Amino acid sequence: MDYIIAGFWKALDLIFSGDAELWGIVGLSLRVSGSAIVIAALVIIPLFTFIGLRSFRGERVLSRVLNAMMSMPSVVVGLLVSVCLSRRGPLGHLQLMYTPTAMIIAQVILVSPLIACLTYEMVKHRGREIQKLGQTLGASRIQSTFMVISELKSELFIYTVNGFSRAISEVGAVMMVGGNIKGDTRVITTTISMLNSMGDYAMAFALGMILIVISLLINSVLYTYKEKRADV
Amino acid sequence: MEVRLEQVSKRYGQKLVFENLNETFESGKITGLVGDNGAGKSTLLRLIAGLDTDYTGHIYYNGQPLSKPLYQQMTMVFQTPYLLKRSVYDNIAYPLQLRHRPSAEIKQKTDAMIARLGIEKLAKQYAHKLSGGESQKVALARALIFEPELVLLDEPMSGIDAASVSFMEQMIQEYAREYRKTVIMITHNARQAEELCDRIVHLHGASTGGVC
Repeated sequence: MDYIIAGFWKALDLIFSGDAELWGIVGLSLRVSGSAIVIAALVIIPLFTFIGLRSFRGERVLSRVLNAMMSMPSVVVGLLVSVCLSRRGPLGHLQLMYTPTAMIIAQVILVSPLIACLTYEMVKHRGREIQKLGQTLGASRIQSTFMVISELKSELFIYTVNGFSRAISEVGAVMMVGGNIKGDTRVITTTISMLNSMGDYAMAFALGMILIVISLLINSVLYTYKEKRADV
Repeated sequence: MEVRLEQVSKRYGQKLVFENLNETFESGKITGLVGDNGAGKSTLLRLIAGLDTDYTGHIYYNGQPLSKPLYQQMTMVFQTPYLLKRSVYDNIAYPLQLRHRPSAEIKQKTDAMIARLGIEKLAKQYAHKLSGGESQKVALARALIFEPELVLLDEPMSGIDAASVSFMEQMIQEYAREYRKTVIMITHNARQAEELCDRIVHLHGASTGGVC
């Protein structure tokens, strides 16, 4: 029990002393997951708003596929990205394996189905009424699409933040494509996993606490945002 | 804008809504569409508005089939208006912004419309928080601000207060008379149809007829 308490106090010391390695890991985690979520949101939200506003055969199939993909295991994403980026893989010549870029790619693939599915269902449910209004006011298809995004921005923002939560807390994919290289591709989750197996709990506790604080902050921001939107 | 229907039929699956509808809605006139529930009045407006293209027959607008430039010259106001989650001012200005009109023109027209509605104090409020009557007035103002050639009204005055109804009737009448625009409106109100409309079309489901 003593080693847990000692680890906890050392963790607090690491956090408040501004330990360079610890905060470097936190910074990289935020950069990788932040970049992934921004890329995914910028591509997926307009695309699936556009698709959601159309009626076509196979709408139900698409819904089911997107729903199924939401729960895609991160190790499978890691495996697919590894296969593509490995030296013998189709994109091996880009030499991205074991770089933060590879981790961003893996996380984009991981969170895209989540954002796509939620966006698509929301647009099908509420977007078509807004599109109809746009049409009667003379909006083009592109204008209607952006009008729908603008009207549903609260919900879409919440989906994006949920995507960020998933990205920053996953370990499988970033471990496989990043390799957990010290000072280069080591992020919060991969470091905790590694330190746990080594029995070095101080840094693991510190990173765990920071991850929990990030999670609490995200939820707090979402809660405040939802409350403000409810007042509007 | 003259709207001419030729042999227009509409089905929802096996259910026939109306069949071989032939009708001409004259330019510069207010036409009232009346009929029982389920006669297809709202469906017909949706076909004319181009919101539903799943029908047989032909609809011509000034002798032309529906095209992208024609979309820009018509509008529709629904029974339950959808107001954007923006201010009243932004809602009314929105069609002009969509058409990339100069900002000075947008401001001048929107301010004038807000003054006409007498809602200067509400201009900065969120539109979707307005009462029913105010919402409908804003929806109508938003529809008319870009001076469409064809205005389709799907019972926009049902369930709102008498003062708002009177105001909207006056607004519609002035718009049609002053600007010589075409208005087609669904109404269940006999007085309104009598006083406001130049002509009334009865929709009976499978066919149409009756003129006053």
